[in-house]
Amino acid sequence: MKPATEVVHAADALTSWISGVAMETQKLSRSVASLLEHKLAGKSKIDKAALVGLDELSREFLTKNTFAVGAGTFFATESVEEGGRPWEWWSRKESGAIGRLDFDLTPGSSRYYNYEKLPFFSTAASTGEQTFWGPYVDYLGFEEYILTFAAPFSVHGNFAGVAGCDIRIKDLEPLIMPSLRAIPGDAALINASNRVVLGNSGRYLVGERIKSGSPDQHRLDLDVPHLGLSLIYTP
Amino acid sequence: MPEIERADAIVDRITKAIGLGLLKVGERLPPEAALSEMFGVGGATLREALGDLRERGIVETRRGRSGGTFVVSQPRTQTDTIRDWFLSTSISEIRDIGDEHSAIAATTVRLACERAEAHDVDRLQELARALVLASTPELRAPADSRFHIELAVAAQSPRLANAEIRLQEETVQQLWTPLTVAFDPEQATAEHLELVRAVAQDQPEKAQKLVLEHIRRNIFHLIDTKLTLGYAARSIQDGQ
Repeated sequence: MKPATEVVHAADALTSWISGVAMETQKLSRSVASLLEHKLAGKSKIDKAALVGLDELSREFLTKNTFAVGAGTFFATESVEEGGRPWEWWSRKESGAIGRLDFDLTPGSSRYYNYEKLPFFSTAASTGEQTFWGPYVDYLGFEEYILTFAAPFSVHGNFAGVAGCDIRIKDLEPLIMPSLRAIPGDAALINASNRVVLGNSGRYLVGERIKSGSPDQHRLDLDVPHLGLSLIYTP
Repeated sequence: MPEIERADAIVDRITKAIGLGLLKVGERLPPEAALSEMFGVGGATLREALGDLRERGIVETRRGRSGGTFVVSQPRTQTDTIRDWFLSTSISEIRDIGDEHSAIAATTVRLACERAEAHDVDRLQELARALVLASTPELRAPADSRFHIELAVAAQSPRLANAEIRLQEETVQQLWTPLTVAFDPEQATAEHLELVRAVAQDQPEKAQKLVLEHIRRNIFHLIDTKLTLGYAARSIQDGQ
């Protein structure tokens, strides 16, 4: 059965918005990579001097893309010099000011933020493609209910980390709800693990996992490479 | 009455008078001396009350020959405050309130089954009926929250009671203030009475199931209200 016009329109609108975010994320990732390649020249490990200027890239990203609450870079630990700071992540505070986010990266510490194990990093590292992760409670990180877009980058041919951005679930809602509400029946944007990112009614609540098998449930994959997003709807 | 409470009482009376249309925006309040006499307070208390109203942007004091204290805006009503709550609270946050409430209520009602005595059950039954007897939305909200708090009281847990009080304060007005579709007190009462029966018969599984369904229905009502107020009709073409 062909999806109704409203569903196709909504899918197009969602695809175009999400592709926009994905493209911005990739652009950030490319800028980070080229800045690092330039700064490192002959050196093999990322040192303090190489990080100079990355803050400006995050700031520019956040100033331009007001939907994002945080943006920056996480490095693969093996690409950073001993004792160096393996991240450069900036976020928008309540006041609107942009400041660097701090994490505890001491293995064994009770507040250890093991980002390399988080899917936005590990999937990007293993596949070499951009990722979409969330909604998730970013405990010990940004500590809110968010989703993360991330794109991997390489320096001198080796995987060196990911650049990406965080979007608060509550900030995402007003941005994409109008598209979902234009669909007459129950519908939701879901991620690759069948989790609801946002639904247009109480039937599909953000964060819930969709059990497949309901015969009246249809699925339309969104044409955004590697992110695994779909629109489900009940005609 | 201590001075501060008297000042609050004056603020309250002036706000109500504006709300009821007895004082209109643009009108000048009587001179301070007349107001002091009217309210039976000293000048300092009156000035404190006027200062509070000025801070809230309800009145403005102008100097000069045609000066005085003027009403400049309508005080915000409870409905305004609640509408703002719906507009500023996301669906994920409403769902999350429901998640926490489910956790608290499920254990509360299981403990109530084990620990409630006959007189607790009588009180719960009476409080359940009080909801359907409440004649206005303003009275339904406290009747509803009282029932849920008393369940935690019957469970003998001060900590669960405090958690329940906090959760009720957060959402009960939103549930009963009729912004879009009014919430039905008869169905809520029927659900409360059924819960009381499960507690009286010490059926923890049933009581838990009932309370979880009850909360789920409340949360759906809040989410529907949010969708209606925040995102209007579904006929709107994509608003990006």
